[in-house]
Amino acid sequence: MDSNKKYWKGLEELNRTPEFVEKNKNEFAEPIPIEDLLSGSGLSAKTPRRDFLKALGFGVGAVTLAACQKVPVHKSIPYLIKPEEVTPGVANYYSSTYEGQAILVKTREGRPIKVEGNPNDVFAKGGLSAQGQASVLDLYDVNRTQDPKINGADAAWPEVDAFVLRELAAVAAAGKGIRIVTSTIHSPSTLAVIADFVAKYPTAKHINYDAVSYTGIIQANQNSFGKAVLPHYNFDKAEVIVSFGADFLGTWISPEEFTRQYVSNRNGKSLEAKKMSRHIQFETGMSMTGTNADNRYPIKPSEEGIALLSLYNAIAGAGLAGSKKLSNKAVDNAITLAAKELLAAKGKALVVAGSNDVATQTLVNAINSLLGSYGNTIDLNNPSKQYAGNDQDFAGFVSELSNGSVGAVLFLNANPAYDYFKAKEFTDALKKVRLKISFSDHADETALLSNVVAPNHHYLESWGDANAVEGYYTVVQPTINPVYNTRQAEHSLLVWGENPVKDYYTYVRNNWDKGLLAKAGLSGQKGWETLLQTGMIKTAPVAATSYTFSHDLNAVAQTIIDHSNSLVSGDSFELQVYQSVAMGDGKRANNPWLQELPDPVSKVTWDNFAAMSIADIQKLKYEEGDVIKIEANGYTVELPVLAQPGQAQGTISIAVGYGRQSAGPVGNNVGENAFPFYSYRNGTFQTTAIIKSFAKTGRISTLAQTQTHHSYEGRSVIREASFTAYKKNPAAGSGNEGEHKDYNKESLWDDHDRPVYDWVMAIDLNACTGCGACIVACSAENNIPVVGKDEVKRRREMHWIRIDRYYSYNDNGESEKAVTKEDEIAKLTNFDNVSVVHQPMLCQHCDHAPCETVCPVLATVHSSEGLNQMAYNRCIGTRYCANNCPYKVRRFNWFNYWNDSRFDNYLNNEHTQLVLNPDVTTRFRGVMEKCSMCVQRIQAGKLKAKIEKRPLKDGEIQVACQQTCSANAIVFGNRNDKTSEVYKALQSERTYYVLEELNVQPGIGYQVKVRNLNELEA
Amino acid sequence: MRSFSLIFKQFSRSVLLIVGFAFWGFSAAYAQTDAAKGETIFKSKCTACHKVDQIMTGPALGPQLTEETDDKYLTKWIQNNQALIAAGNPKALAIVKKFDGKAMTTFTELSDADVGNVIAYVRADWKQIQDDKAKAPAGGAVAEDKGPSELVVWGLIGIIVIAFIVILVLNKVVGTLERLLLKNKNLVIEDEPVAVDEHGNAVDKNALLKKILKNKKLVFFILLCGTIAMGSWGWVTLWNTNVHQGYQPVQPIKYSHELHAGTMKIDCQYCHTGAYKSKNASIPSLNVCMNCHKVVKTESPEIHKIYDALGYDPKTQKYDSTAAKPIQWVRVHNLPDLAYFNHSQHVKVGGIKCQTCHGPVETMKEVYQYSPLTMKWCIQCHKRTEVNAKGNAYYDSILAAHDKIKKGEKVTAAVLGGIECGKCHY
Repeated sequence: MDSNKKYWKGLEELNRTPEFVEKNKNEFAEPIPIEDLLSGSGLSAKTPRRDFLKALGFGVGAVTLAACQKVPVHKSIPYLIKPEEVTPGVANYYSSTYEGQAILVKTREGRPIKVEGNPNDVFAKGGLSAQGQASVLDLYDVNRTQDPKINGADAAWPEVDAFVLRELAAVAAAGKGIRIVTSTIHSPSTLAVIADFVAKYPTAKHINYDAVSYTGIIQANQNSFGKAVLPHYNFDKAEVIVSFGADFLGTWISPEEFTRQYVSNRNGKSLEAKKMSRHIQFETGMSMTGTNADNRYPIKPSEEGIALLSLYNAIAGAGLAGSKKLSNKAVDNAITLAAKELLAAKGKALVVAGSNDVATQTLVNAINSLLGSYGNTIDLNNPSKQYAGNDQDFAGFVSELSNGSVGAVLFLNANPAYDYFKAKEFTDALKKVRLKISFSDHADETALLSNVVAPNHHYLESWGDANAVEGYYTVVQPTINPVYNTRQAEHSLLVWGENPVKDYYTYVRNNWDKGLLAKAGLSGQKGWETLLQTGMIKTAPVAATSYTFSHDLNAVAQTIIDHSNSLVSGDSFELQVYQSVAMGDGKRANNPWLQELPDPVSKVTWDNFAAMSIADIQKLKYEEGDVIKIEANGYTVELPVLAQPGQAQGTISIAVGYGRQSAGPVGNNVGENAFPFYSYRNGTFQTTAIIKSFAKTGRISTLAQTQTHHSYEGRSVIREASFTAYKKNPAAGSGNEGEHKDYNKESLWDDHDRPVYDWVMAIDLNACTGCGACIVACSAENNIPVVGKDEVKRRREMHWIRIDRYYSYNDNGESEKAVTKEDEIAKLTNFDNVSVVHQPMLCQHCDHAPCETVCPVLATVHSSEGLNQMAYNRCIGTRYCANNCPYKVRRFNWFNYWNDSRFDNYLNNEHTQLVLNPDVTTRFRGVMEKCSMCVQRIQAGKLKAKIEKRPLKDGEIQVACQQTCSANAIVFGNRNDKTSEVYKALQSERTYYVLEELNVQPGIGYQVKVRNLNELEA
Repeated sequence: MRSFSLIFKQFSRSVLLIVGFAFWGFSAAYAQTDAAKGETIFKSKCTACHKVDQIMTGPALGPQLTEETDDKYLTKWIQNNQALIAAGNPKALAIVKKFDGKAMTTFTELSDADVGNVIAYVRADWKQIQDDKAKAPAGGAVAEDKGPSELVVWGLIGIIVIAFIVILVLNKVVGTLERLLLKNKNLVIEDEPVAVDEHGNAVDKNALLKKILKNKKLVFFILLCGTIAMGSWGWVTLWNTNVHQGYQPVQPIKYSHELHAGTMKIDCQYCHTGAYKSKNASIPSLNVCMNCHKVVKTESPEIHKIYDALGYDPKTQKYDSTAAKPIQWVRVHNLPDLAYFNHSQHVKVGGIKCQTCHGPVETMKEVYQYSPLTMKWCIQCHKRTEVNAKGNAYYDSILAAHDKIKKGEKVTAAVLGGIECGKCHY
């Protein structure tokens, strides 16, 4: 029984707009001008016969001459003295650390080509975010600063050192302040270097500044429990999660870790144990976390505080002074129910809020205290050190700059000229500083204002360490010699601080020998080498203890209400500024892999936008893509409108991280900067604002949005069930109940033998959060080109794996009955309450593959291991296969992306090409490509087993998308092995095959999405 | 033509193999009881100073022991040569003189039977070497490889020549018969009056040409031959476009595989370390050369190229890395990027000898491309070569699974999917 619930990817698909219908009928987004050529001047034009013959003759002659070219001589240059550990053709893996998370760096012939999560990492256990995957490309960015600079001119390091030492001495002599501004540093060695520097220059001070700050939480914990720390959250221990605008699966604090924890209570294993957590999200814009919630309620920023107060009142059974009822009935009702559920799950409940407001976070602490979360779902004893930014310190620093008491500033991994909300005030004040040093490896906004640029190494060229959470120490080791004339920032600080140890490697060694190694019972050279191999040490965590909140909340409540009132003024719209999953705070804006990664929710690439609710857009008679001018907090931007289902009415959401002016050619002028919408209130940066005015500009800017590029013509591809239904019948919603149709009875195709291996995949829709890390991992592994905004608009993105995001209506969110009938859909106007399913879609490796049947040259054929293979050199580019593919997963190479000046921002230079995986061919113009199930990894895995003379083990071969998935949503393996994980997963009652009725026998089974809908009401 | 020569090669190879085996079997049966024991003793006691076929510290034992047939004397010599010399045995004194009075170690611990075994082994081994040498010119891979294809070409030319003669003769016969027929019918046609001037000959020649041109069959035949010749040339040229069999570029250093791999018998892997563990066999880095050439042949200008590349000064024996400049070898074997080839799969797993694809490298002064490296060549081998599954637990379940479907069939690489596109192209 197939569900007939209606799913849609975009409004144009839902409403079947004429443009959409027309566009979808055609193979190409833009008509190909063949008809013009044939009917117009093309053929009827008087091209004289002689001209034709001339052209023909010249053509043949030219081709013949070109073909006469001698075969080029290939040179082979071996090492002069080969390092012992390098075998050309064999990858080496080195453990290192990406932003506090233990990773493995794959190097080939001495150059890093891929970053993978370390399976022993405490955060994601082998998973890695899209940004982490993309970080390797930054190493090969030709726009990195290649030499140190003094006043904009290239200089040698000794000159820089002499200059800086002289200036620092002068500043110190004048008694003026020295400020080291960094984004959060949790590296013990770097902190020690800075401490040594401060000891040398007593007027120096270290200021932690995070563009996206968590000061609110840290300050609230200080106020509530006397501990100024960022707690370590345990989502895996939470049975009921209520989040107020915290995008904890996408961007909030430690998303990879939270994803792993969160999914562990919702994946197949948990479901089989009849356990599933419940997740309720209250938020303004649709976040990735919101798309995964069981119930999601759109609220305005101004309602957030009031909703939290109501929740507190409901849980505490008290009425805080000044608290009022929410005007939104549905939300009010939901809060009451959420309170009941939270109380029922006392000790296994968790409330989080994304706000950076101290009062709001204090209230959240009070709620969590009442729910007994401390010591269970929240760990204050082993705090997270991922963010330590102090907004107050930075604001103080800016006023110090203005009053001229600072003589020198050093910027390490901080770019306030771009991401500080009062950038103008900051840059003006900075002019008064005598010595400005930037360690940035790009000529970024702040580096351009500095008189000394001392470019830092990329982290893959560096030594170092990290301590992202209490008791977890990881090491950073270089995997390549510095590519450019750069120097590690710590090294520079050691030199300028006239430290007796000048070499940072020695410094790190000493620091570890002093105490860190001993924590894991290691010592000496041997201990250090062990550390380099394992990449980490973990000390036994302190037992998490319970904390009780025992302060008066009335003042807090008053602050919250004041804040909330300040966001409301008549009918004015409210603004929410958020981080997008791909771009984050914009530090990696020059990374084309991230720019081309479709946003998990909006599926927009290469841009930010103003997300508005559909009701508002209809009311205001806007169209998607209309550029509007938005003014708030004295700042104005012009951005295209995006109609976002689930967006709270009366609000606009804008992502930060865009609008960089000096990121590099890839990131410059992509979108608009939203940081200036921030404000500073009660000691922290606020991400919400009241919109003074907004209006259409009349311009239209089409967004490069991939969501409806690959259409199923309305066929049902998603199946879902409620947890209640699942508990009654595990096959609920999967279409497997009752008599199962044997589609294979009448088949056009012969069956293939798959005697030994049958490589298949199982994808759990209930585990996939839609983050898109797999897309970047696949790009890195399989040399997938970046095509740029214009080409994405033409539906020519090359990603082998995409994540389809489907919306569906709930009637009004209060019952689990979903709307199924067409006529009911027509009656609905409420787009606020939609539910979302993410579906990773890649080549299904069908056993009866329709693409294989239509290929005239047999370029795509089936293997005896169940793979649908693509021989690029056979392909002549008819694109019949793509037309015949029901899943629309085949991609056509329109250009030689690595040798075409139109794609300069990616691979079109020899230096960046070093990131390519040498085991995978780069495809040339005019051929089809698609997911190969990482056949190079399959072959390598088999070869390894053969060499070691042992059978292949299950799980030994991991495909790139599976490997990077923190949620373990993808399982790959051999279906013929009845003990394999993938076999077990496919045996699950929840398994269904997309478009099974076509009898193409797909090799990828999906598991039904299960939603834990409101049980109390049912 | 190519496939014919290939089949011929294969056939001749298998015949040779059978003959070789038969030979080996015979000689082995003949000397089995002694030689096996003798070999162990030889290897443990004698190889420090002796080789069967080469003079080392001591004489080459093969010829020495074959020429000298007096086993008793030999036994005594081997057990205690000092005693023989002291006793003034003339043979013993002669050999000592030949080797500048260098004494041989005494082996009094060896029994007469042991020594007999050693002698038997050395003789058998020497015979084997002699036999191999004798066989080599007749059936050595290189000489024989060119053979069939040349044979075919000459055969074809022969056939063409014979056909030409046959046609000429037939033509003549037909002409005579026609004339006879006409004569019989009294329709004798006199030869056309030949225009003869006083000089005569030149006109004659033209007439002959004219006559030939008038012979339509002959013209047709010549044209046919021309077309066939041009056609086959064109076909072969096009067919072999980008096939660089025999490619032998000049390398920056005159390195001889014949010397290192042939004469010195250095194992291929000593330098090409990657072959067993990587997709690349890899060209050795210069530090591998320096293992020997720090002391060997230090005066050679070719070796000095290595020193220069490394920035090594042989006088001070010091390296100057700033003067180092890597050597750019010219790649001989070029597979296109679109084909994935892994050495370890073939060498380590498949147990294939380097020579199977690279030819008799040990005889190459300069390396050339021995195999065509075409896809056809790959596939042919994959279709014919049985998978080397013995003692490899990886294949146990695989062979069992295959056995269920196709009982008893030879399991070649192709049967295990070795000719599917995605095995090499990804």
